[in-house]
Amino acid sequence: MTPAATQTLAARVFPRLYRDSVTLMSLAAALERRAGVTRAGVVMGTPGNLAILERSAMRPPDVAPAPDDLVVVVRGADEATVSAALEAAAAGLDAVVQDSGPRRERAPQTVTEGLTVDPALTLAVVSTPGPYAPVVVEQALRAGLHVLCFSDNVQTADEVRLKDLAAQRGLLLMGPDCGTAILDGVPLGFANAVRRGPVGIVAASGTGAQEVACLLHRAGTGVSQLVGVGGRDLSTAVGGTMTHLALDLLGADDATDVVVVVSKPPAAEVARRLLARLATLGKPAVACLLGEGDTDGPVPLRGTLEGGARAAAALVGAVLDLEPVALPSATPTGGVLGLYTGGTLAAEARVVLRRAGVPAQVLDLGDDEYTVGRPHPMIDPAGRAAAVVAAGDRPDVGVLLVDLVLGHGAAADPTTPLAEAAAAAVRAARSGGRELVVLASVCGTDGDPQGLASARRTLVQAGVVVHPSNAAAARAAVAVLCRSGRTA
Amino acid sequence: MIAGGVRVLNVGLPAVVEGVAPADVLQLDWRPPAFGDAEAARLALALDDDVTQGANRRALAAVHAARPQLVGVRPAREVVPGTGDGRVLLHAGPPIAWERMCGPVRGALVGAVLLEGWAATSQEARDLLAGGGVVLDPCHHHGVVGPMAGVLSPSMPVLVVEDGDRRAFASLNEGLGRVLRFGAFDTDVLDRLRWMRDVLAPVLDAALGEEGPVDVTSLLAQALTMGDEGHNRSVAATALLTRRLAPAVAQQEQGVPALRFLAGNDHFALNLSMAGAKLAMDAAVGTEHSTLVTAMARNGVEFGLRVAGTGDRWFTAPVGAADGLFFPGYDRADANPDLGDSAITETLGIGGFAMAAAPAITAFVGGTPDDALETTLSMRRITTGPHPALRLASLGFAGAPSGIDVLKVLDTGVLPVINTGIAHREAGVGQIGAGIVEAPPAVFLQAVRALHAARSR
Repeated sequence: MTPAATQTLAARVFPRLYRDSVTLMSLAAALERRAGVTRAGVVMGTPGNLAILERSAMRPPDVAPAPDDLVVVVRGADEATVSAALEAAAAGLDAVVQDSGPRRERAPQTVTEGLTVDPALTLAVVSTPGPYAPVVVEQALRAGLHVLCFSDNVQTADEVRLKDLAAQRGLLLMGPDCGTAILDGVPLGFANAVRRGPVGIVAASGTGAQEVACLLHRAGTGVSQLVGVGGRDLSTAVGGTMTHLALDLLGADDATDVVVVVSKPPAAEVARRLLARLATLGKPAVACLLGEGDTDGPVPLRGTLEGGARAAAALVGAVLDLEPVALPSATPTGGVLGLYTGGTLAAEARVVLRRAGVPAQVLDLGDDEYTVGRPHPMIDPAGRAAAVVAAGDRPDVGVLLVDLVLGHGAAADPTTPLAEAAAAAVRAARSGGRELVVLASVCGTDGDPQGLASARRTLVQAGVVVHPSNAAAARAAVAVLCRSGRTA
Repeated sequence: MIAGGVRVLNVGLPAVVEGVAPADVLQLDWRPPAFGDAEAARLALALDDDVTQGANRRALAAVHAARPQLVGVRPAREVVPGTGDGRVLLHAGPPIAWERMCGPVRGALVGAVLLEGWAATSQEARDLLAGGGVVLDPCHHHGVVGPMAGVLSPSMPVLVVEDGDRRAFASLNEGLGRVLRFGAFDTDVLDRLRWMRDVLAPVLDAALGEEGPVDVTSLLAQALTMGDEGHNRSVAATALLTRRLAPAVAQQEQGVPALRFLAGNDHFALNLSMAGAKLAMDAAVGTEHSTLVTAMARNGVEFGLRVAGTGDRWFTAPVGAADGLFFPGYDRADANPDLGDSAITETLGIGGFAMAAAPAITAFVGGTPDDALETTLSMRRITTGPHPALRLASLGFAGAPSGIDVLKVLDTGVLPVINTGIAHREAGVGQIGAGIVEAPPAVFLQAVRALHAARSR
């Protein structure tokens, strides 16, 4: 800072001008914020105020105002700075205080405040950071709201406690880590524009539910409700609390004629109770438990999403008729690599490949280990696209199996990055003297914002073979390898 | 299936509900509760039940039922419990040892020792205080509240406010400039205190005997409709009190000097509103399970919070300097950390909470009456209910937001706004500005843990 001695001190007296002390202090503060101004004082010229100016070396010797004069004093780097500040002070004192305009409307910030603004709310959607989610969820449940909890990183103990609380009150707690629901036709989270229809879905899996819903739409039928329950609901710890409540609600829902439950295989005891409940639901039901054998009992059991959708469609008199897709002519030498954005779609691919005895590496790129510090690949396609490009350089990869998920919540254009990456991978393999087949399915409907038909077209133009279901794409991978003589 | 249709309260990412018709979504401007302390947020939620709410309703009803009456002006040693014997000095804020005290409080204590004649020089006074020769105790522990340093010695007069058999006290306001409450203790300061003790106090006491008692709540209620907020602006309340007492004061031998003193001190009634607020808040102290704040006070080093359900316990955290406007020649670097028991007014629901009543001082909260209104409305978010008697014209005569609830502070993350004067950090320089200060989050986080522990026992 410039030493006080080399600085300029100047004052201006405004005779018989009164402003209250708060206005004066505000003005002084504004002057001090100006570049080059080290100190400013704006006071009425009372003896007391002049003494204060004197004490702080802020009173120029020639300034002798009357007590009802207003004095502005500025100390600053140079003459120009100081006189500009004095001009600004004069302008500030002259300014007519304008009306501050309409009052600000403050958005509500808490659950309680939200319900005060609109008491008719029925459902809270919670996507706060995980550590706070249990608090927000409990506040919402106590207020009588159903909850969809998109947040993950919630402790199992909290999930158990909160689901018990919800069940006591007859409220749905979908989640934690529930990404998908369609309630009374309203899509929440990652959800496709599926036709409304007679099939109710209860899902402990996000993309699994999306695939089943899209295949039902494809079969010409539709979905009454899609209730996500979170991936842990059918674990031993949680015990299926929400699955059972959802089944109660679907049992009583007039729009629902048939019920499908989609999940990874639960623990034996939980599965037994689930199947018993489905058998007594009073409505036909399908248990789609990924990786289980396909069996027909009182409740048909299916181990793939496609199988579950087909069985449910049949129960409402619809037919899932998937058009066959010609196998590519290539005979690659490498094995199968799955690069998935949807966790349950990856799981289904593993089931199909395992059933055929084809060894394969199928990665769920939405898994926590791949998403640290970056968005889920369904939201940001760049990470998966990079993995696809990299696969083109791997001699051990001959068949690349991918998914593409459309719908609300998904990226605005997830297709182009995948198509470009697939084309680049094929070129890279070819320049390495290898063949690479890229097989895909698109999880979506013609009503989705991204457009199903254009997505498929874009992929096909990039040389990707597009199948009508994820299971079909996985079966095609098996077929390509069989033809190449590479199956076990 | 969803009774009432799917009408969404969205807490978090807007993209999650992009498929829902906008008319059916209410988006919260959510932020982490409990200042980001998830564990404290859980404890607060666990406490937020019928037991707590019932306790808070009872506590606030007791506060609002209090009708403090100004009945006299007496020497502290006659009326303030625990100051009658021995060398006892009271100070503002939570307990603090001499070694840790700030400049203005030390200066005021030195002045009080000199006033009492316990030492002949300021150095002797310092030695006495540093050597433990004087019992130092918070005002709040004796039913007293004092602005800024809040130092009270046994011979000083206090305003006596009573409601039935309960009493509260406050020192007499000395005015602005070089005064004891900012740590000054020169001859002028001590002479003024002697005059207040020997002349002003007996005159006022006699006048109250004739014209009193004065209903403090009514006086404050009237002042709020005249542009006061009951803390940083007490012009109207002082005028009302002076007018009320003037006929009786004028008849006395020293009546004119007394009236001249009142006429020259815009803040005289601040201490009365503080005493009234203290008496009202004390009615809630010890209400089992209540999360209502009963006191906020600063000693220039720490901010102290007391809560009804935890009785006499203080929750403390370091306090910063107020954010404010400064007199010429001073800035934030000169400011002492915040000081004084005067935040008892905000605890009741006036002061910063009633900014909407005082357009003249709105520059402290942004500059316009709308900003002042906004401040009062945001204090509604953390309080238990409107004060039935203290009403705000600019809010359609709704009651001032009254009774801070620790749980609401944690849920909203809104901190109590306190209007305050700013003292120079060196003893005796005096007031260098005024502004607002927010209570530190830490005291509320401590409080919820203690309240939860108390419930779990």
